[in-house]
Amino acid sequence: MSTFELELRGITKRYPGVLANDAVDLAVRPAEIHAIVGENGAGKTTLMSLLYGLFPPDEGRIFIRGEPVHFSSALDAIAAGLGMVHQSFKLFPTLSVADNVVFRQEPTRRGLIDRAAGADRVRELADRYGLAVDPEAVVEDLPVGVLQRVEILKALYRDAQVLILDEPTAVLTPQERDKLFEVIRRLRDAGRTILFITHKLGEVMSISDRVTVLRNGRAVADLMTAETDPAEITLHMTGRAVDLGSRAPEHQPGRVVLEVDGLTVIGGHGRPAVTDANFEVRSGEIVGVAGVAGNGQSELIEALCGLREIDGGSVILSGQDITDADVAGRRAAGLAYIPEDRYGVGTTRQASVADNLLMGHHLSSRIQRKGWFDRKAVAKLTRRLVDVFGIKVDSVSRSVSTLSGGNLQKVVVAREMEYGAPLLVAEQPTRGLDIGAIEFVHGQLIRFRDQGGAVLLVSAELSEILALSTRILVMFEGRMVACLDPAAVAEPDIGLYMTGSHLEAAVG
Amino acid sequence: MFEQILDTALFDSATRAMVPILLAALGGMICERAGVFQIALEGIMLTGAFAAVAGSYLALSSGAGVIFGVAAGMMISLVLAYGTVTRRGDPIVLGIALNLLAMGLTGFLLPQLFDVRGVFQHARIDGLDRLPIPGLSQIPWVGPVLFDNTVLTYVALLLVPALWIFLFRTPIGLRLRGVGERPLAAETLGVSPTAYKYGAVLASGALAGMAGAQLSLGNVVQFAENMSSGRGWVAVVAVMLGRAHPVGVVAAAALFALAEALGFRFQGNGLPVQVTDALPFVVTLIALIVARKRFARLLDLTTAG
Amino acid sequence: MASRVLKELRGISERALVSPVAFSLVFAFALAAVIVAVTGGNPLAAGEEMFTGAVTGSGLRNTLGRAVPIVGMALAVSVCFRAGTFNLGGEGQMVIGGLAGTLVAIYLPGPGALIVPLALVTGAVVGALWALLPAYGQTHLRLPILITSLLLNYVARAITGYLVRFPLADVSVTLATTRQVPETARMPKMPVFGGVSLSLLVVVALVAVLWMVYGRSVAGYETQMAGLNMRSARYGGIDVERRTVEVMAVAGAIGGMIGTHLIIGEALRFIDGELVLSGFAWTGLLVSLLAMNRPIPVFVTGLFFSGLQIGGLAMQRNAGVSWRLSQVLQAVVIVAVACRLAIRRSDRPSTEAGESEASAVGEV
Repeated sequence: MSTFELELRGITKRYPGVLANDAVDLAVRPAEIHAIVGENGAGKTTLMSLLYGLFPPDEGRIFIRGEPVHFSSALDAIAAGLGMVHQSFKLFPTLSVADNVVFRQEPTRRGLIDRAAGADRVRELADRYGLAVDPEAVVEDLPVGVLQRVEILKALYRDAQVLILDEPTAVLTPQERDKLFEVIRRLRDAGRTILFITHKLGEVMSISDRVTVLRNGRAVADLMTAETDPAEITLHMTGRAVDLGSRAPEHQPGRVVLEVDGLTVIGGHGRPAVTDANFEVRSGEIVGVAGVAGNGQSELIEALCGLREIDGGSVILSGQDITDADVAGRRAAGLAYIPEDRYGVGTTRQASVADNLLMGHHLSSRIQRKGWFDRKAVAKLTRRLVDVFGIKVDSVSRSVSTLSGGNLQKVVVAREMEYGAPLLVAEQPTRGLDIGAIEFVHGQLIRFRDQGGAVLLVSAELSEILALSTRILVMFEGRMVACLDPAAVAEPDIGLYMTGSHLEAAVG
Repeated sequence: MFEQILDTALFDSATRAMVPILLAALGGMICERAGVFQIALEGIMLTGAFAAVAGSYLALSSGAGVIFGVAAGMMISLVLAYGTVTRRGDPIVLGIALNLLAMGLTGFLLPQLFDVRGVFQHARIDGLDRLPIPGLSQIPWVGPVLFDNTVLTYVALLLVPALWIFLFRTPIGLRLRGVGERPLAAETLGVSPTAYKYGAVLASGALAGMAGAQLSLGNVVQFAENMSSGRGWVAVVAVMLGRAHPVGVVAAAALFALAEALGFRFQGNGLPVQVTDALPFVVTLIALIVARKRFARLLDLTTAG
Repeated sequence: MASRVLKELRGISERALVSPVAFSLVFAFALAAVIVAVTGGNPLAAGEEMFTGAVTGSGLRNTLGRAVPIVGMALAVSVCFRAGTFNLGGEGQMVIGGLAGTLVAIYLPGPGALIVPLALVTGAVVGALWALLPAYGQTHLRLPILITSLLLNYVARAITGYLVRFPLADVSVTLATTRQVPETARMPKMPVFGGVSLSLLVVVALVAVLWMVYGRSVAGYETQMAGLNMRSARYGGIDVERRTVEVMAVAGAIGGMIGTHLIIGEALRFIDGELVLSGFAWTGLLVSLLAMNRPIPVFVTGLFFSGLQIGGLAMQRNAGVSWRLSQVLQAVVIVAVACRLAIRRSDRPSTEAGESEASAVGEV
């Protein structure tokens, strides 16, 4: 009998040009909460996908309770008692909670699905582990925190002994996170093993029993949480001391650049997504918008940038009313925009680097006359942007699909900075980037601010908002519920606003 | 005036007009549920019509004809499944090309195999007989309209509740819908999207092939070039209009069929054939405009964003 | 020696296999040969007739003549496909515009130098107006052009069929047809290869214009970017709806002009159903797909497909194999190309792509 619930030995996975996992060893004891930490790109998700049978490792072996196992699909992993809660939920939006949970292991009666039996089983599991959820509810109507519970229920329904949680807190408020931690502890106390993947040190310290650190695809440390501290883990994670938490030097805000008054936006299903939003952004300041994903931030940004209809209120940019202007009109009035989805919106995959850099500038009189391009001016512009922003590409006629995520974001940032617009809207500008690229983007935002630009920054990363913002607006259910000074507020307090616990607070 | 137009004969001809559209649309519905955009129904129906006549002519049996039609439909749909599912080709490009392939292939084989042009009629072609259902066919109004028809008519009508139960009450149906909605999610639970999509496309091929057989052995007993004449496209619209739900699909198919039957009737009353031929398409276009809110997904599929 | 030849052959075949178009062509011809053999014909003889029929004797003239509508309709559809607009209504636009242009040629008196251009322009305007119906349907009512433009083909057939059968019918003949286009209002022929329609020059000019517009103009850039990724184009300030309406109008105009040419330059009468039967709109669509919507490849591919059809007719006369085989060939080429290598027409961010993208955003 092995002392390990789960053991990985020498797991290696190569992608063209990348060694995603390099001879990784991992040993997980039964009924422990085992954290796996590492920066973005350290190989955490690849390792978990290999473990879950989504694709095979190039080398190495997996043991469960001492038995060697070979997974050719997720199904094998499920059969072996593994359950996975993915970072992006794998749920069917139009199906009910119960249908999502029982999917492929449906209780049947005379060949037909036994709906009542399925719902009962879901309710029973939910009660036992404190996962409040209505089995009859349709998934697309549920908030993110509940979706995560559905994912956990799916794993428990399949009797998972080992539960893998991939960055489970990324979408949660601090309060929801604490509730999740309770559930996790309860599961451990019931004898289940938890693999907890994260890049947040605070969570490692507060929830895990043991921690494995990944760096550049290698497992570089295996520590008892009680015997280590954040500094030691950081050192293992980065190989150097990094201080992302340092605040940018203060600047004196200047004139009002963006003035939003009573903005109301109707979202999907005809419900208001943004209600009566009032705020302003001045030159020389970064205004951060905090909030749990899905509380109207996307709709707010889309409405500001002309991609969504405005149903009430006004938007004034540098004294010009742009409430009814189209995208081109807004850009002409001085709006630059780094969108959240740099793959689907910020760039066009099959188009060249040059064509992507040109987008939006293509109407500028510098490079075209009466609808015909000045090819020399176009080449000059794209070459300069590539040089100034250090975009790594051998030729601007290359398709952007060949660029890495960080390099692609440089294309977007370079293009948007080139407008010389007084206002920059940045939506999740660093999501999924490695540390080097994050530092680049942050540096650009600060440089823009120091040159007198006004920045509206939306981010799901509270730490990013806290580190960069001059002021913080908190959104909850489509409303601006607070305007806070980052120097005078603590993370948990922002969390209270994000969950709507301080609805009476006025917006400044 | 209305009494002259609205009689059992009208609804009887509407039923006959409906069956091919309904069969093809039910096939399209299964594909839609499995997340495959199926616009090759027109070509599959045409191929099925040709194969059914050929099979009936060769084997002297309408049953063999239907089997030929179904098999031919499945062969075309197999190409579609291979192209879109295995090769990840563009379903719209493939659908259009397969429709044109069916047009060319039937147009080529007609003179090549039977030495005729345009229309193929022969005493050897065994048509589908009307099989009145004892008892039910005696019911006034409903009986002659629904229960005195070809066996494929009964198949089509029975498929409506059968597919409703299949999609919404059986494990396989649930998994099919899951595959259509989120293939990756289904895959992580061990349901192979590839297998389900192949199954759905093949089923649609069988049904659209059967629709062709009804066209060339049931509604008439002959093959005419291009005889599907847009019915497959009407079926595509019926799937969207019916929100890929069996009840909605049958309602949409009935609406279009009624328009076609009314067209025939007006033709008898002296309206030019060119005008009455356009009636089902005009009704389809109007239905599209009236129910346009339902087409967001189709629009997303057929535009680049 | 033998092994060297074999090695050389393998090298060539491997290179050919790498190109999906070459592979698809080989595949389509092989399949066509099998079909001919199975249906009782001689594939080699058929192939020979097809080739000689397309390029020898009057074949070359006919190939160039038929290339006019094929390339023209291909250019029309390419303008739309390139911009991500799935216009399947080429047939209707050609038929409606064609009838309108023909009426000008028949009923308007005047010198040919005035009437012929006027007929072409009328055909273009009416074709464009017809194409605007599905265009506005999509931009204002959110009805997919793919479906509406196709359904409108049947309506266009009915309208023109009714008009030439009743109000505009030439009662002196049994056919449902208009009167003949008077001699002065016909499209002149150029004295090359035994008489090729002047319209060929119009089509060549169109190729040149589109090539310039696509490569060098803001309009070309905006339509291309809208076709590749509509969301990104919108975000960049491109008015996608306006561009959709524009490309539809251009496609309809080209279609109407080609329809007019087919009557005043070739058939001389608008006979009910004949334009539809020719299938030029659909052949053009296949040409555009194979040429990936680029003007110069469209021209070359259009010539090739035209040769296939002319050769097919010769094959039918001399080898007893129906010319419809060339239609089969054309469609098989596209099916094969679409299967071997997806003709990516858009960066469609479906829910599924969203999912995989979300994980791509995560980490490697």
